[in-house]
Amino acid sequence: MISPAMLGHTMMIGHTMIGHTMLATWTLVAVAFFALAILVYVALRSRTRPVDLEKAVQAFRSLDIEAFRNLVDSNEEAFLRNNLPPRKFHEIKRQRAWAALIYAWEAGEAAAALARVGQAAQRSSDPQIAASGVQLSENAFRLRLQTIKACLHLLTEILLPDLQSRSLPPLVDQYERAADTLFRLGRFPSGVPGLVRTKS
Amino acid sequence: MLTLNWPRLLSLFLWISPHVLLGVLAVILCSRRSYREFPCFFAYVLYEIAGFILLFALYSASSVTAEQYAYAYYFTLLFSIALRFGVIEEVSRGLFRESVFLKVAARRSLRCVAGLLLVMGVLLAVYAPGNNSIKLVAGSVVNRGAAMVQCGLLLSLLLFSRFVGLSWRRPAFGIALGLGVLSSVDLAIFALRTEFSSAAWIPYLNWAITGTYFVCVSIWIAYLLAPELEPASLTVVSRDEVENWNTELQHVVRQ
Repeated sequence: MISPAMLGHTMMIGHTMIGHTMLATWTLVAVAFFALAILVYVALRSRTRPVDLEKAVQAFRSLDIEAFRNLVDSNEEAFLRNNLPPRKFHEIKRQRAWAALIYAWEAGEAAAALARVGQAAQRSSDPQIAASGVQLSENAFRLRLQTIKACLHLLTEILLPDLQSRSLPPLVDQYERAADTLFRLGRFPSGVPGLVRTKS
Repeated sequence: MLTLNWPRLLSLFLWISPHVLLGVLAVILCSRRSYREFPCFFAYVLYEIAGFILLFALYSASSVTAEQYAYAYYFTLLFSIALRFGVIEEVSRGLFRESVFLKVAARRSLRCVAGLLLVMGVLLAVYAPGNNSIKLVAGSVVNRGAAMVQCGLLLSLLLFSRFVGLSWRRPAFGIALGLGVLSSVDLAIFALRTEFSSAAWIPYLNWAITGTYFVCVSIWIAYLLAPELEPASLTVVSRDEVENWNTELQHVVRQ
């Protein structure tokens, strides 16, 4: 026969299990509805977001390459490291990395917009424009993924400034490459006043 | 003669009408020759129609027991789940078809995501709440795990494409969207089923599932019938502009 104490213990275990089951169920339901909300959002956004050439062009032309280069410059970082107390250096390093991260993110957004431009050109009836569009979008995809890598490195640097210091040279190389990338884009001739011309 | 009350009528309507719409969808896929582009999706549509005919026949036959019907249901469900994975693979292959770079980079990432989701799905099937009787293991729990993997894969696909600026063709986007809605609602309903397993709740949950299916088939039809959007900017971008951008980006990437 089960004693009242044991019965109470068994009931407690039962309640805990029911609680866990309920929690797991509602967690799954929440995950499912969150996913559904994202799907609906993506569907609605894709309906209302035409290819915006002007935005893509402006985003690229507004990139301040020199500012980004300064933010990720290894010499400047070494100078700061040698002349600032460690705590102050970490603080400034975080701020610089954060600024560079925002910059790289914007560059990535611009690359994504450029990819859409390339894909729009791909559907052109002119075979030469279509072929150029293929290459343009391919390169924009590569650039987008490059900026993602750079963002991840910068994020690590923000979170763990000391840890990053050990692998600084390759990281700086990466930044340098990213900076060169952006530098080249910044040098892109302005050409005609805008890519989007009215049809009138 | 069958006596119909409103809940029963609603149940039958929500069960039959999506499959009638699936028939319409199959005709559209044939008439537009879209089955060449989406053979797996076409097979899925035909399979769903055939599965419905079989299940409806079993449901109507008085000699078939509830247990036999349940086994038939879970059997058809397992094949349906497998075909849905095929449709996701088909949609992702089509999405990355035009980009050599993404074909390698993105699909490798998606395989990692798929592996991760599969582990989560299996863990969910093993440790998830609910009555783990043999029948439920064969049905609800497997479907719940599969729904989670499918939902995660489709979300990753949609978010990744949006992130890199990859444009979807409308039919492929519609298929992915419909399947995503279906799998996310499936996940929620099959989770709720384990908690609300009393007879009073079952009709409501069934209505939610069949109602969602109705919406999803409507989404597929709408996206397949909708004309492909041609960007207005196509005719106003000069060839020189595109080539200039292309040249500059090639310098950037190749350095």
